Amino acid sequence: MSAERNRSLRLAMPPARRFALPVLLGALSAGSTIALLAASAWLIARAAEQPPILFLSLGVVGVRAFAIGRGLFRYLERLTGHDAAFRQLADLRVGMVRRIVPLAPDGLAATRRGDLLARFTDDVDELQDLPLRVVQPVAGAVIAIVLALAGIAWLAPGAALVVALVLVLGLLVATLGQGVLSVRAERRIAPLRGSLADAVLAHVQGLPTLVAYDAEGASLARVADVDARLRRARVRAAVGSGLAGAAVAITAGAAVLGAMQAAAGPLAAGALGGPEFAIVVLVPLAILEVAGVVPVAWATWRTVRRSAERVDGAVPEDLPAGLPTPVAAPQQLPAGTDGPPLLELRDVRASWPDLAGVGASHALGGVDLVVRPGERVLVRGPSGAGKTTLAHVLVGFLAYEGSFRVDGVEASEVDADRLRERIGLCEQRPWLFDTDIRQNLLFARDDADDDALLAVLDRVGLGDWVRERGGLDASVGERGALVSGGQAQRIALARAMLADFPVLVLDEPTANVDQERADALLADLLAAGADGRTVILISHDRVDPSLVDRTVVCADGRVPAAT
Amino acid sequence: MRPLDPALLRHARSARWYLLVGAVLAGAQALAILAFAWSLQSLVVGLIDGASLASLSTWTAWFAAAVVVRALVAWGWDAAGTIGAAAVASELRVAALRALGRSPGRRIDSTVDTAVAVGGGLDALQPYFGRFLPQLVATVVVVPTLVLAVLVADPLSGLILVIVLPLVPVFMVLIGLVTRAVQERQWAALTHLSRQFLELVGGLSTLIVHGRQHRQEARIRADTDDYRVRTMRVLRVTFLSSFVLELAASLSVALVAVSIGLRLVDGTVAFAAGLFVLLLAPEVFLPVRNVGAQFHASAEGITAARNVLALIDAPDEDGADAAVSRPADPGAPSDDDVVLDLRGVSIAYDGRAAVHGLDLVLRRGELVALGGPSGAGKSSVLGAVLGFVPHEGAITVDGRSDAASRRDRLAWAGQEAVLLPGTVAENVALGEPEPHPEAVRRALRDAASDDVAPEQPIGARGEGLSGGQTDRVAIARALHRLRVRDLPLLLLDEPTAATDPEREAVLVHTLRGLAREGRAVLVVSHRPAVLEAADRVVRIEAVTHVG
Repeated sequence: MSAERNRSLRLAMPPARRFALPVLLGALSAGSTIALLAASAWLIARAAEQPPILFLSLGVVGVRAFAIGRGLFRYLERLTGHDAAFRQLADLRVGMVRRIVPLAPDGLAATRRGDLLARFTDDVDELQDLPLRVVQPVAGAVIAIVLALAGIAWLAPGAALVVALVLVLGLLVATLGQGVLSVRAERRIAPLRGSLADAVLAHVQGLPTLVAYDAEGASLARVADVDARLRRARVRAAVGSGLAGAAVAITAGAAVLGAMQAAAGPLAAGALGGPEFAIVVLVPLAILEVAGVVPVAWATWRTVRRSAERVDGAVPEDLPAGLPTPVAAPQQLPAGTDGPPLLELRDVRASWPDLAGVGASHALGGVDLVVRPGERVLVRGPSGAGKTTLAHVLVGFLAYEGSFRVDGVEASEVDADRLRERIGLCEQRPWLFDTDIRQNLLFARDDADDDALLAVLDRVGLGDWVRERGGLDASVGERGALVSGGQAQRIALARAMLADFPVLVLDEPTANVDQERADALLADLLAAGADGRTVILISHDRVDPSLVDRTVVCADGRVPAAT
Repeated sequence: MRPLDPALLRHARSARWYLLVGAVLAGAQALAILAFAWSLQSLVVGLIDGASLASLSTWTAWFAAAVVVRALVAWGWDAAGTIGAAAVASELRVAALRALGRSPGRRIDSTVDTAVAVGGGLDALQPYFGRFLPQLVATVVVVPTLVLAVLVADPLSGLILVIVLPLVPVFMVLIGLVTRAVQERQWAALTHLSRQFLELVGGLSTLIVHGRQHRQEARIRADTDDYRVRTMRVLRVTFLSSFVLELAASLSVALVAVSIGLRLVDGTVAFAAGLFVLLLAPEVFLPVRNVGAQFHASAEGITAARNVLALIDAPDEDGADAAVSRPADPGAPSDDDVVLDLRGVSIAYDGRAAVHGLDLVLRRGELVALGGPSGAGKSSVLGAVLGFVPHEGAITVDGRSDAASRRDRLAWAGQEAVLLPGTVAENVALGEPEPHPEAVRRALRDAASDDVAPEQPIGARGEGLSGGQTDRVAIARALHRLRVRDLPLLLLDEPTAATDPEREAVLVHTLRGLAREGRAVLVVSHRPAVLEAADRVVRIEAVTHVG
């Protein structure tokens, strides 16, 4: 587990050269905080001895310099630290993409279940807190504190030893004690928080139903019950969670008293001057102020570690079973000069990888299907029959057993990217990037000019729609919020046509479309999409037989051989 | 943005308790700081003057006591914050859910967002109550106390603090005003850029289909770098405000220290008073600085509370009102067979008429289909009958006109089936205190759900059933209620949209059977099989075409 975790955490840590400056500035800022108190304590204690004013000038200059330095260094530290963390974010994200591309889409929970997506990307981004809020503040504080202790040791070695001991002890209690308590509390609270969220969601989403069935009161009581249990758990946990703050306050007092005890002897013996004594006794206060970042960083560290665990859990190191393995010596597909290839599936079996957070999926238990070039085939079957599994096998997202030949070549021996140049897929929920329509089409063929894009949009029946919305610059909104399900399918088809796949698989194109528009959409998709291509249409709906050449039925993961 | 919303205090009594406890804690905190500083300076000055540690044991005891009280106060603030936040969250949650229940048909843009706001979103109150409000209360209680003490001990230092302190918020506001324009200009671009990684991961399968996944690294690098440059531009300005705060605080301490030092030399101030003031000066600025530092952390909490308060304070929207205000025409033929009677029903959404002047009568034994293009308002008609959708005109169900009584006489299954966590049987028998297994089985059978077992569990978000199964269980639920309560009217919205033809046939057969039993069935559908089976098809046309 720990080696696993290190994979993500290592990606998050910037190299030392990028990291050194913010740590140095942090140490200077923390050092200024300590030095400001030391200088002002010395200044006042020395002034109380009423020396000639000239003797104080060093203290006066020091007090002013450290007062300015503290804020200035802190400002610079925050800027350079954030800059370093953001620079690292690019490396982090790129490294993560390198890890997830071989798994995507079917081996990655985040892309298989939309609700995991935001959490996954947030988790990845949260890893940047490791340098910014854990390592860097602690490193700066430790440097400053060690130097301050060295300074105290120079004046009164015994006092430095006492302060160091009290400090370490206090921080241990504050961080570890609080860590143990909050882990225990979190373990109790997290499931309750989940149940509360579920109960509230069920209540809000089901409100009309609950009202219509006289069940609102019962549901409200259920929410109130979970809520009360969560509140009780929180109150119990609160008793322990304040420990860190209390421990830091106690530690500060103990350090001051300890330093006083240790330095009182040298002071009485005349080995230590009054102003120096004031420094030794008061500086521990500033040290503790600086050390206050440690419990905060510790709490952040636990959050980061959890994110890293989730990321590593979501991105397995080994390819999970069910995904195609890269081919060492890929075979070439015959150059397809005469239109689409011949597809032959014999007893094809496949299943989805078993992923944490993703429910059971439907396996293929034996598909026999031959699709001749240019054919329009409808694969029909109830939901859960394995139709999408079949689609993902066809485009090489999933591994298979049995035989699937493309123009006589076994598909598993072909590089998956080459396979997908021949066989394209319009997904059930095509992803629309949050940008304009042009960019949403261009990545399918980046040398297409606007006229070509508009021509394709015309062919998929979106020409007028795009012109109404002001042309190719119109935005599709976040996750295609400004686009209906049918329009999204049409955009996906437009992409597929730009990419010019000889074989096109349409996976439930009407799943998110009004019934009455579905027929028109299917007619348009098949008319525009076919055009010399092979089209494999997958649908649980009955389709006008005149639109396709042939219908096969997929049930319980099987497509029996044609008779 | 208001740091403390009076509406919050009005709706959450716990918040008032919290502030009361906080005021006591802050008072204790102020006294402990004074005791801490005075006992510490007494010890230091005494020891330098040659006293032995043993002779100063009273001050040592005072010091230790002050430290313990400070620790207890810190602990108390933390506990009070957690407890207060949890209590306030509970109060707001219950109030918000009650408010939602008062107008079940209120259109919510996103039920998930609402559920998050009312559920986990209120967790954001924790930093607000745990970290921000304590500093705010401390600023109000502790800071004046300490300034007063400094004024007494050394009037000149006190004067410096009195002059500098108000400058801090003034500077903050000024910087805030100057930077707001920059921040707002950058904000949209930033949120967009920060989502690019999500976009890429989400769209990965689309990219792979098009063989574009290998080109993404350069793009991420460019996007993230763009994000960094823009964010840094914002941060340079944002961090300025805390820079000014910190600078003001430490320069004031320096000013006080130097002024005391110089006056100590000529003897116009005592060592004891000077050290006391030096120890107090940073404590004066600490709460003010923390208020600034925690303000952004707490903004989330304020927003969370405000979202929920908006739900609580929203005006009730009950579809029944209009119907009550316009009772059914007394001259209308009273007919015991009439189950559903709509007269001149008009429904408007967002000021746009969706249904205009609809008259519709359903009698016992009738199966009527409601057709028409999508968006014409078919579901809204069902919503109006249920009392969920505001409307004009009169609606009676089995002779009753107010919304709650209308709902008592009908069973309904909506277009988007919502199942609750539990078992299939619990869902089918929803609202029945004592369900009969046989009735549940029959309802499932009639709803073509023979592939679903009554004891099958349903997860928190409907996991366990496929989409089609979910729809059919919701229909079984309506059939169960209809039969068990012997109700005269069934409303169904697109019951067979995701059903295969075989199951659709079973369902149509069931609907015909219900009509034969003497019930009225109104079903919204486009499916030919349903339309063919209906006694009548009533078409609702989009109003814009009718004029």
